Amino acid sequence: MHGLFRWSSKWWPGTIPLVAFWAIAAWTNTAPVESDLAARSAAALKDTVLDKRRIAVEGRDVSFAADAFSEDGRRSAVAAVAAVPGVRLVNDETRLVPEARPFVWSAERDVVRVTLGGSSPLPASKNRLVEAARADLGGVEVVDQMSLARGAPPRFDDAALLVLDQIAKLKDGKIIISDATISLAGMARELGGREAIAAALKNLPEGFSVAANEIKAPPYVFQAYKDPVAVTLTLTGYVPDDRVHAALVGASVRKFFNEKVVDNLKASIGAPSGFAAAVGPALGALSRLSTGTLVVSDREVKLSGDAFYDAAAVAIRAGFGKDFPQGWQFKADISVRPAAAPVDDTVCQQLFSDLLAKGTIRFESGRAAIDPDSTGLLDRLIEIALRCPTANIEIAGHTDGDGEDGFNQALSEKRAQAVIDYLVKAGLPASRFTATGYGSTQPIATNDTDEGKAQNRRIEFMVR
Amino acid sequence: MAYLVTFHWGWLLASLLLGFAMGWIAVVQRGRGVSKPVSRWLSVLAAALVALALTCVIPGRPGYWLDLGLVMFASYLVGCALGSWLRDWALSRPAP
Repeated sequence: MHGLFRWSSKWWPGTIPLVAFWAIAAWTNTAPVESDLAARSAAALKDTVLDKRRIAVEGRDVSFAADAFSEDGRRSAVAAVAAVPGVRLVNDETRLVPEARPFVWSAERDVVRVTLGGSSPLPASKNRLVEAARADLGGVEVVDQMSLARGAPPRFDDAALLVLDQIAKLKDGKIIISDATISLAGMARELGGREAIAAALKNLPEGFSVAANEIKAPPYVFQAYKDPVAVTLTLTGYVPDDRVHAALVGASVRKFFNEKVVDNLKASIGAPSGFAAAVGPALGALSRLSTGTLVVSDREVKLSGDAFYDAAAVAIRAGFGKDFPQGWQFKADISVRPAAAPVDDTVCQQLFSDLLAKGTIRFESGRAAIDPDSTGLLDRLIEIALRCPTANIEIAGHTDGDGEDGFNQALSEKRAQAVIDYLVKAGLPASRFTATGYGSTQPIATNDTDEGKAQNRRIEFMVR
Repeated sequence: MAYLVTFHWGWLLASLLLGFAMGWIAVVQRGRGVSKPVSRWLSVLAAALVALALTCVIPGRPGYWLDLGLVMFASYLVGCALGSWLRDWALSRPAP
């Protein structure tokens, strides 16, 4: 041992090349050591949930910065880095993710994109929400503006996923989850969407509640277009149910005796109250126009088009909306189509006959009151009468063979007179018309069938 | 330490061999060695550097370089001791 001390005094010359070795080793190994330790540290944190993770290595010292989602998670992450073999010191720059009070998350939809904003509790749930939004809204751009924060209520993910399903049902709008309360605003994409959203929100996870649901339904639109060229009445839009659907189509067929009814209506919930009571009379007003459009949007009714003659325009304007249910708004924009050229008596008779071959003036059963469905036909008859101002016209009433002759005779006379009263009220001189009742004496078809009887119940216009 | 040894084994082996060679020579060298006071000061310096390394006072890359230097130096010393002892053992064997 004594020799070792003696010899050691002569070991110093070797330190000169040793220092050289050391310098070269330090020069060549520093970067590899640092990258190796950075990789090992990153591997040690592989299963740890962190945000904004940053690892910088200087020599064997690791500067570790990250946002953790719990104090335990933060501590265990630092310990995991410190336990990496080779790491000398850990500069702990970790912190907890800020806590959001209140914890607010939002999903906003406009025409082309959905923006997810506010706070999300974990990176995994953030990704899940973005993926769910992409899946629910195929083709719509999803913009992720969510930040991470602590303080989410329990079962937040379930609530947010359910809310995202509802965003798909909106045309535009915003849904906000603030702590455990949910606020909704916007416009549903389709009729019934508002109701569907309200129903879905009943399945919210326990603890969540709806603070405000201001989702609006899109306007409930019904449209009718009378096209004089194609001779069609086109019905589009919505009706509340099959019963109203059938009733409106039936009324249209009666009122628009000359036009083919094109039925493009769809049944949908969400109709304003009194829908059928407003649309029925509005269709009656449209039937009095030569060309026109009826638009019913929620409780607003707009009628526009051309009446056959001045007095009809005045009457339509005055009568439009009077029999609508309370709370309905209406607007009639009625003009008068240019008067047709006068014709001689023979042509006039021909026009009357042609028109009455297509449609029949209807009366209430067994009475002389004109059915409102026939006003469109009467307006067209009046327009023809105006084209031959010098012709005297006999209005001939006929009944079917049912009932007593005397009653039928009286009824046919009264009905003929009711027609004259209508014509006079429309501005035609009473002196041009004579009312004649023929009862059931001049049938044009058999009285043995309902069809034949219907043909026999008629009013004829005879130019004398 | 284990990491340093594993990662730098080549350099440590080089230091060990260098030390072995130096130790082998030192036994028969005639020149004057380091005087006792100087060697005492050098020991104190080495102890101070070891203390600095153990307490991790020097941060970052200089800290790593210090650790590396001390490990290489320790390896060198072991090599020296082995070299000197072996040379001495070889010389003291009775000639055949």
